[in-house]
Amino acid sequence: MTGVPLNIDWQQIMLHLLNFTILFGALWILLYKPVKDFIAKREKYYEDIDQKAQDNLKASETERDEYKARISQLDQEIRAEKEKAREDIDKVTSQRIQEARDEAEQILNDAKAEAERQKEKIITSAQKEISDMVTEATEKLALEQSASDAFDQFLDAAERTERG
Amino acid sequence: MTKKERRKAIIIFAVIALVFLIASFLTASNVPKTETVQEVMRDAVLHDSNKVMLLGRAVNPGLLSGVIVSGILIVFALICRLFVIPRFKIVPGRLQMFLETVVSLFDNMAKGSSKINRVLGAYIFAAGAYIFTGTLFELLGVQAVTTEGLSISLPAPLSDINGAIMMGCLSYLFIMSGGVAGNGLKGIGKTLKEYSLPISLSFRLFGALLSGALVTELVYYYSSLSYVLPVFVGVLFTLLHALIQAYVLTMLTSLFYGQVSDDTPPPPKEKKAKKTGRKNKVKDQTDKKAA
Repeated sequence: MTGVPLNIDWQQIMLHLLNFTILFGALWILLYKPVKDFIAKREKYYEDIDQKAQDNLKASETERDEYKARISQLDQEIRAEKEKAREDIDKVTSQRIQEARDEAEQILNDAKAEAERQKEKIITSAQKEISDMVTEATEKLALEQSASDAFDQFLDAAERTERG
Repeated sequence: MTKKERRKAIIIFAVIALVFLIASFLTASNVPKTETVQEVMRDAVLHDSNKVMLLGRAVNPGLLSGVIVSGILIVFALICRLFVIPRFKIVPGRLQMFLETVVSLFDNMAKGSSKINRVLGAYIFAAGAYIFTGTLFELLGVQAVTTEGLSISLPAPLSDINGAIMMGCLSYLFIMSGGVAGNGLKGIGKTLKEYSLPISLSFRLFGALLSGALVTELVYYYSSLSYVLPVFVGVLFTLLHALIQAYVLTMLTSLFYGQVSDDTPPPPKEKKAKKTGRKNKVKDQTDKKAA
């Protein structure tokens, strides 16, 4: 190969090419691809774990939300029950109060009637006693007036005699 | 390790180094060198004389290095495929971590560059592994016998111009294939715009690795330079080249691949106001005012 600078030999270039091509193929099949496949496999493994963790997290969050909803529902139910109970209590209480009031009124009316009756009775008996007492007093007075009038007439006569 | 044990290890290491040093002096041959340093360095560039036999044909030593490096890498990949990869675990060990890191590095580089990245990642992985291992192979100093019966240390495969041209041109063709995959025939046009790319890719590799090879040749030619200095030379001109050139070629390939395979239309250009028309308008207004 005279005339070619630096002794460039095309046949040797082809041999170098053949050599490198074999090396490229061998390294690709024997080393590069299996290692890359393994890396991809491991990435997938961790992605799966990550995915599973994400799914678990999502499921937990859903469950938590469900429980929260259920708790709030229960709270509402409890609140409604309390409200209902309070209303019932209020109703019973007001009924009881009304009954007590009615009873009290009844008792009061009875008492008033009784008092009225007693009063009537007392007045009647008092009137009777008074009339008896008046009668007796009148009798007494009538008796006492006649005696005192006689004494007075005596005294008046005595007095006129003395002056006169 | 306790202080006493550390001291003991250092002493043993120093004794071994001393033994090797003495052995290197004792085993020095008195045979005169057949090549001058100029010839050695010229041959490292041009491969005129020192050829090795491969499959019954005299070839540059770089090609033999390439075949050996490919063999080492394929055997390593095969061992990994048979014994290591089937035992991969979700929590990786050291070797698994190393393999996954290297593969992920090139895979991410490919994914970051282009949407069409199925083969790109594998290509830059193979190219990066070949350049890196091939450059480090130089450090091993594997001996081979030339056609002239001389012993040579096998160089990096890509310090051979033919290997570098192969890598540069193949990368260019690969970039073109990305252009075709992304944009059809328009992709070929896009790739051809970067006509200097195969030359720059080839000669960047060749220049970088040849410089390392030349410095190594120079250092090992003289016995006196062969002590301690190769440690620094090896790191500077081989280890760093291995890393840098592997990164540069793979990065450039993926970058250009992504560029030519990108099928998004360019943003519309804003129309520039015609300067001459505007000037005439201003001139007309001035004339009217004057009138």
